[in-house]
Amino acid sequence: MRKTILCLLFLCFTVYAAGQVSVTAEVNKTSLALDDELTLSVEVKGASGNMLMPELPSLPAFNVYSREVQQSSINGKTTTLFRYIMLPRFVGKATIGAIRFTHNGKTYKTDPITVTVYRNAQGVQNTRSASTTAKTVSNGNYDSAAAVKKTVEKADPNLPPLERNLANQAYKRGDENFFLVAAVSNEKPYVNQPITLAVRFYYNRSFYDAPYQKPTVSNIFMEDAGSSEGTQSIGGVLYRYTEQRYQLTAASAGKATIGPATVRYMTGSIPLSPLDRLFGGSLVSAEETAQSAPITLNVRALPNEGRPKTFYGAVGTGYTISAEADHTQAEAGEAITLTVTVKGPGNLKATSDLETPVLDGFKIYPTQATSENAAGSKNQSYKIFKTVLVPSASGIYTVPSIKWSYFDPVSASYKTIHTDPITLTVSPSTKTESGFDFGAGKPGNGFQTLGRDIAYLKTSYAPGLSTLAKLSGWETLNWIMLCWLGISVFFASIGRKSLAQKKAYTKARGRLKKAQSDEAVAEAVSGYLQQKLKISTGSLPLRAIVESLQKRGVTPAAAESFSLLWQRLDTARFAPGAPDAQNAKELAQQALDILKLLEEETK
Amino acid sequence: MKRTLAAVFLVVCLFPVVWAETALQQAEELYRQGKFSAALGIYETELKKAPNDPYLYYNIGNCYFKMGSKGLAAANYYRAFKLDPRDSDIRHNVTLALESGGERFIPTGIPAVLHKAFFYLSYAELKGLTFVFLWLFCTLGGIWLIKRKWGKLCLASAVILLLTSGWFYIRHTLEQQSLAVIASPVAEIRSGPGTNFPASASVAQGHLVTLQDSKDAWYEVIVKSQGIKGWVEQSAVEKI
Repeated sequence: MRKTILCLLFLCFTVYAAGQVSVTAEVNKTSLALDDELTLSVEVKGASGNMLMPELPSLPAFNVYSREVQQSSINGKTTTLFRYIMLPRFVGKATIGAIRFTHNGKTYKTDPITVTVYRNAQGVQNTRSASTTAKTVSNGNYDSAAAVKKTVEKADPNLPPLERNLANQAYKRGDENFFLVAAVSNEKPYVNQPITLAVRFYYNRSFYDAPYQKPTVSNIFMEDAGSSEGTQSIGGVLYRYTEQRYQLTAASAGKATIGPATVRYMTGSIPLSPLDRLFGGSLVSAEETAQSAPITLNVRALPNEGRPKTFYGAVGTGYTISAEADHTQAEAGEAITLTVTVKGPGNLKATSDLETPVLDGFKIYPTQATSENAAGSKNQSYKIFKTVLVPSASGIYTVPSIKWSYFDPVSASYKTIHTDPITLTVSPSTKTESGFDFGAGKPGNGFQTLGRDIAYLKTSYAPGLSTLAKLSGWETLNWIMLCWLGISVFFASIGRKSLAQKKAYTKARGRLKKAQSDEAVAEAVSGYLQQKLKISTGSLPLRAIVESLQKRGVTPAAAESFSLLWQRLDTARFAPGAPDAQNAKELAQQALDILKLLEEETK
Repeated sequence: MKRTLAAVFLVVCLFPVVWAETALQQAEELYRQGKFSAALGIYETELKKAPNDPYLYYNIGNCYFKMGSKGLAAANYYRAFKLDPRDSDIRHNVTLALESGGERFIPTGIPAVLHKAFFYLSYAELKGLTFVFLWLFCTLGGIWLIKRKWGKLCLASAVILLLTSGWFYIRHTLEQQSLAVIASPVAEIRSGPGTNFPASASVAQGHLVTLQDSKDAWYEVIVKSQGIKGWVEQSAVEKI
């Protein structure tokens, strides 16, 4: 019984506790500089369902520029946190009055909070050293450890590398009001592997006129990949950020650098009214600069080993390829457009053009390539290759599978994808009269030149060498024939001498006919013997001449006649009398007869 | 026993002939199936047995052409043409292969008929013809010298010999030119024999070049159609 009563009491207490609503207000700091910002947090515990926003008191000393609501529920108890980010407007003490919160017709109030606003950060430092109070809780609780001890947060390890890197950098710089961080998705990419560079400008107070200068890069192609905005809580302080993303691809292996990005900004509120300035308000600060740290990439070269011929330079994961013909049934001479589409991550613009397969029976026009980012995606791009094929004759043709390779950085290997073969059915052209013509054919005469190709194979060996070709090997015969010519020349020269011999009689006869004296007759006979018989009459006696004649076949009778003639000529030569033409003529006739006899006998 | 030996002898004698025909048929079958590389292997093996067969060069050229190597195709067609210039298929294919590389088989300004006539005979045939006229002239000349007969015939043979010798001399001069074809897809022409010299031009396969000099692994060439002179890597060139 007692146990039951205790349980009931406990249950009633729990219900009562759950039904209790408590409202507390706190600020993140009680002393701050004029260019600093103040975060006011109003925590409502125990209220659930529809609720109104807390009713802030009049805050003439502050500009509220950001509001945020967070709600959590633990063990059925709901806690709602209203966070206001405010900028002080005046130097001096400022009080945040009681904040009202109405729930279920009941109004709750917080205690007022007083903060001191200094002209600059130096004043704040002095105050902090004098007082250990850093945090004031309206309900009187005091948590000095949470205020003094500053721990650097770590990003969720499950976040993608780029997000994690950005968040960690931001946590390290969480004590600044404005800062710029930059990070890449991969610091050791392969050549032409797409990576993302993100540059974030964090701020937790207002600014204006902030021109942004993007980072300079070397050995890298950089393309804008869009911008975005967001918020992030760093050390309990809500920061807003603006992010600019870029897609990078390294051009060659080695070091590649990404220089710092820069934002020049001016803090403070918009220019104050003359009244504000009178009460200690300030104008905007001078121009300040936020800069990100430079980044160095170690770009890795693509391996040569295993590189396929169909690799055109794409690096990434998850590429796809497809091919289609605008129509698969056509007439001869009708153009068919073959479209090959490659889709995948990264920048396909940098890849070289696909080689269109050679198709026998088709006239193939040069391929046109276009490359764009996929719609709605900054990291997906596609490349389209369009080729016009014109079949020259009817038949069934197959456009073979087209291969395309890329390097997969995840598995560090080359991968090849391919299209499916496409079958094209080509019917004979019905446009003979006015149809196509590739060459010399004249439309309308029933003949068309459809294209040119090499002649077919020779199906046998070539016939043997022709006779002429064989004769070219008979070089020895050249020498033989030239020798023959030489011999002929030699014999011809000999023949010229015999000609002189032949002509000796004719010559002697002519001289004898003209002879007017015995001496002339003697000289004609002597010349004949010299030319015909090679007998030198000047040095030989008559007997020797006769012997020579007999050796050449002259009969003794003829030799005797010659002897008589020679003696008479000797007499005429060595004992000449008075010139007698008649006598000379008779002697010439006698000599002519004898020479004729000798001519006949020596043939 | 004698009959058996005779049969064995016959088989041994006929085997190479039958095998060769089978090899050509096999190569043709592969060619028809589009297996040009395999067909090429057979033709090249056959070429080692018959190194002066123009048809084998022609078929090798066809295989290279179908495989897309227009430069090597042109080189082999040219070799076939030199051996058998009257074959119309060879003439057609060499023209097509050279035209696909941007070259002209018949030089600009020369009538096709004249080109055909000039190359009607192969170099060996023209040499043989010159020999025949030399022999004829020697014979007639000898006769005329000795017998003083057929003087006019001798004179006519001398004139013919002179013309034929002139024709042969020009062909011999052309034959002595080291002709080659760009065989690699693209060859770079450099100002010196090395990659450290800048490239002045690039030439696509199928272009005719004449070799002027060689140094290490480089040829000095003149691109006939362009008149450009420079150095090209030997591996990019196929000598004809």
